Amino acid sequence: MLGRRGTLPFLVGPPLAWLVGLFVVPLFVIVLFSLRPESGIVPPGSAWNPSLIQYGKVLDTPAFLRLLGTSALVAFIVAGAATLLAYPVAYFLAFRAGERATLYLTLLLVPFAVSYLLRIMTWKLMLGPAGVINSLLSGAGMIGEPLDLLLYSRPAVVITLVYVWIPFAALPVLAGLQRIQRSQLEAAADLGAGPWARFWRVTVPLSVPGAVAAFFMVFIPTVGEYVTPTLIGGTGGIMYGNLIQGFFGSAGNWPLGAALAMIMLVLTVVLVATAARIVNVRRLLS
Amino acid sequence: MPVHFVRRAFVVLASAMLVLAACTAVSPSESATESESASESAAVSVAPEPQEILVLEWGGYDDPAFFADFAAASPEVPVSFEFGLSDADILGKMEAGSQADVFHFYSGWQQFYVDQGLVQEIDTSQLTNWDKVPDSFKAQGQVNGIQYFLPWDWGFSSILYNTEEVPEVTSWDVLLDPAYAGHISMWNDGPAAVTVSAYVHGYDETAITDQQLADIEAEWIAQKPLNAFYWSSEYDDLCPGVMDQTVWIAYAWQGCYATALYEGTPVAYANPSEGRNSWIGFYGISADTDSYQLALQFLDDKLADLTMSNVVNLFYYGAANQDVMDAIEDPVLIEAFGVDDPAILESTNFTPPVTDAQRTAWTEMWARVAAE
Repeated sequence: MLGRRGTLPFLVGPPLAWLVGLFVVPLFVIVLFSLRPESGIVPPGSAWNPSLIQYGKVLDTPAFLRLLGTSALVAFIVAGAATLLAYPVAYFLAFRAGERATLYLTLLLVPFAVSYLLRIMTWKLMLGPAGVINSLLSGAGMIGEPLDLLLYSRPAVVITLVYVWIPFAALPVLAGLQRIQRSQLEAAADLGAGPWARFWRVTVPLSVPGAVAAFFMVFIPTVGEYVTPTLIGGTGGIMYGNLIQGFFGSAGNWPLGAALAMIMLVLTVVLVATAARIVNVRRLLS
Repeated sequence: MPVHFVRRAFVVLASAMLVLAACTAVSPSESATESESASESAAVSVAPEPQEILVLEWGGYDDPAFFADFAAASPEVPVSFEFGLSDADILGKMEAGSQADVFHFYSGWQQFYVDQGLVQEIDTSQLTNWDKVPDSFKAQGQVNGIQYFLPWDWGFSSILYNTEEVPEVTSWDVLLDPAYAGHISMWNDGPAAVTVSAYVHGYDETAITDQQLADIEAEWIAQKPLNAFYWSSEYDDLCPGVMDQTVWIAYAWQGCYATALYEGTPVAYANPSEGRNSWIGFYGISADTDSYQLALQFLDDKLADLTMSNVVNLFYYGAANQDVMDAIEDPVLIEAFGVDDPAILESTNFTPPVTDAQRTAWTEMWARVAAE
């Protein structure tokens, strides 16, 4: 029988190889591209003369940095809203759904069975000038003209992203809530705590690790989001990810796109590390 | 111990290969030498050409309707596709060593392929449909007097506008008009923005100065809030916006114009005083292909009547086959292509070739506009 040392390579090896081959190495390649001094299409046979020119170009462009800040703020709002809205859903599944929890959890995950693009396009129908929301407001006599704010705007991006992430955010919150020992709630009740006191002083503190995990799981990918802003953001809803996508795609300028991507990565890591330090994740997890 | 060594060696080797790919690429001269050596050895052994064709193409052009004649004539030859997102992306893929036998790109990029040795001359004497191509189109596919490229599809860029909301448009500057705030849609493309500004202000598009570019940037930053959205895909983004009348004024190709006309949307396609912009799509045969004869056959069949008719009738793009253009009877298509105006192409501005440095400056300018 294999011991711990013997089984470790078989358990860790495949995912590690996958991660190294398809994440670490490509990331390293992106770093190398970001250090290329050429702009635009890199001519074949170009000498390797590493330079920080691309980084300088990004840092010297206030509009790029402002958009990065705006994108981080949007990600913060989306992650916060999605986590808050997911919490009651997860609470219901953990403590109130009973035997039907599996059914409700399946229903919660049904949207994942539908193409992401299709779900986003559906929001165009919801938010458009002749869409469901404008029609309802107009039908109720609340507005005379369709609200332009609903589509092709940053609020439209935030609304749609929150919708997209709620089921995703509910999962880590649910996992956190399910870890709470019922005996702890019973002990609180025995000590005279009412339902609200039990919730605020026992359930919420013990579920914070799950909520923090949900927040970061939404925040990190949202900073670089570009599909939703492309489809429903309009010119006012453009995010930093759109710049990166543009340089890697239509502009064909990988070095500058790579520098933009690396700066975003560094900022995201710094923000997450700072936030983790502030909320003291290690203590929460222990 | 040996297991660790093998694993470590594998990771190091794989990493090194990818790093090398990022740091270096085969130079054109090396590539040409290898290609020549390959040709020599092929000549000696007279190896048969592979009977399959790989096309570096734009999404949507892989529809069998767009190679219908070839599929009918050579049903045993599989046609497969690799896709590019933009002209820059397609050139980048060719530079990176794409295995494509033929590639498809648009006006303004011819010189890059020739300069970098990525394309070879087309032996037009073997093309049975070549005589159907107007001389003016043939000339656009020549570099240094050599026919490197086969013109295939063409069209206009101009201003598409809603006739119920906007009076007759006579200038490109309507795209900058604050009176239509929230109902304009510009193509998400830096070089196109520079072209429009060059038309409006009378700049020489091939010699934009730094000051002019700064002015253009300021102009488009001011224009940005006027847009409902920048469009990236003609049929996925722009046309729905035009047809649901969110968009009243748009930088557009004639394909969207025809689509909107068919749908009954009240639209017109401007003939601005500065002239429309015109563009041509070309096919080139890769310098490294092992299937030159098959590629020639493929391109010849791309020019054949059925395939070219499909381009006109399904995509609403112009065809380089003049017989097909002359046979158009549909009033919507006659209007879209200006078929009843034989001089229309002469009054338009063909996209000129510009340098890589210019394109880079223009795309970076556009990114700054988008970020504001």
